[in-house]
Amino acid sequence: MSDVRYSTFLRHYKCMESTQFNNQILNHSDKLFRLAKSILRDGEAARDAVQELIMKLWEKRAQLNEVENIQAFTMRSMRNLCLDSIRRNRDEDELSPELEYIELNPFQQTEQKDLASRIRNMIDRLPELQRTIIRMRDVEEMELSEIAYVTSITENAVSANLSRARQKIRAQILNEHKRVEERIWK
Amino acid sequence: MEMMNELFEKYFRGETSLAEEKELKQYFLKGNVSPEHEAYRVLFEEFSKEMNETTNLPSVHAYIPKQRSMNRIWYQWLALAGIAAAVIMLLWIQFPTTPENYAIIGGNRIDNTEFAQRYTAKKLTNVNKMLARSMKPLQSLKNVREEMQPLKTLSEVRRKMTELQNKLQLK
Repeated sequence: MSDVRYSTFLRHYKCMESTQFNNQILNHSDKLFRLAKSILRDGEAARDAVQELIMKLWEKRAQLNEVENIQAFTMRSMRNLCLDSIRRNRDEDELSPELEYIELNPFQQTEQKDLASRIRNMIDRLPELQRTIIRMRDVEEMELSEIAYVTSITENAVSANLSRARQKIRAQILNEHKRVEERIWK
Repeated sequence: MEMMNELFEKYFRGETSLAEEKELKQYFLKGNVSPEHEAYRVLFEEFSKEMNETTNLPSVHAYIPKQRSMNRIWYQWLALAGIAAAVIMLLWIQFPTTPENYAIIGGNRIDNTEFAQRYTAKKLTNVNKMLARSMKPLQSLKNVREEMQPLKTLSEVRRKMTELQNKLQLK
């Protein structure tokens, strides 16, 4: 075995210390949770998904030394795990990740009196890719190149989806405001 | 104001940089917001609120050490089982199933057969002598009985004479 191959072999199988694992993986657990919650639209399921991912990453910690951008790598793994979970558990009653925003009925409107929760609902009803991108950009403040890596699409596609998501939210916000103003003037 | 309008338009087209987006967030935090931008306030506040959302999962950090300690316990049990098996094997080898010949003399284990036999013979001789000594008084008793034998005859003669005398008196 040549020196280069031997050093690669050693690097590959060198175990990541638990403190290093804590610093590099567990410190991102909040970001991973927010991403999982955005995709799954369920806090409990998101917590389970984060734990499952951390368990899987711990088992493969030797390979993590090879990864350049740990945060982007873990975010990408989190998204893939969540999408797999949706594919496994999808049934007729569940909302499709591609489901568009639907106008709320009066009952739902009274249930969601708070404008903030209505906006959260608007984001949650965006297609999965768009809501993941808008949250990675506006909540996690990630670069377009990182988002492109996590979602496995080009930077141009990220920009296009981000624009579409923001335009939809803007239209819905302006629509809400218009309706509130009309109600006030009546 | 026009600059902010332009920035909002750029934002909704998805063309702003991270620095420009931070500027928009700061604009709402400062509080001096134009009425035409008020509609977007809740959107940016919602992003800030979501940014502070945590997993609220203490078990996540406790998870890895827990798993390691479980492995350690498993290895400890495995090591203990190995030691126990080794001890059993050792005892089996040390104590063969066939019984050994030995004697206990004065609380000490004697493995020398010749010594044990000599010791036993000596003890048996002592017992024999002791028995002989004990039987000596019995021999004397026998002699006395033999000596008493004539007296026994005398009493017989006396009995006979008494009978004769009785007979003579009857006549």
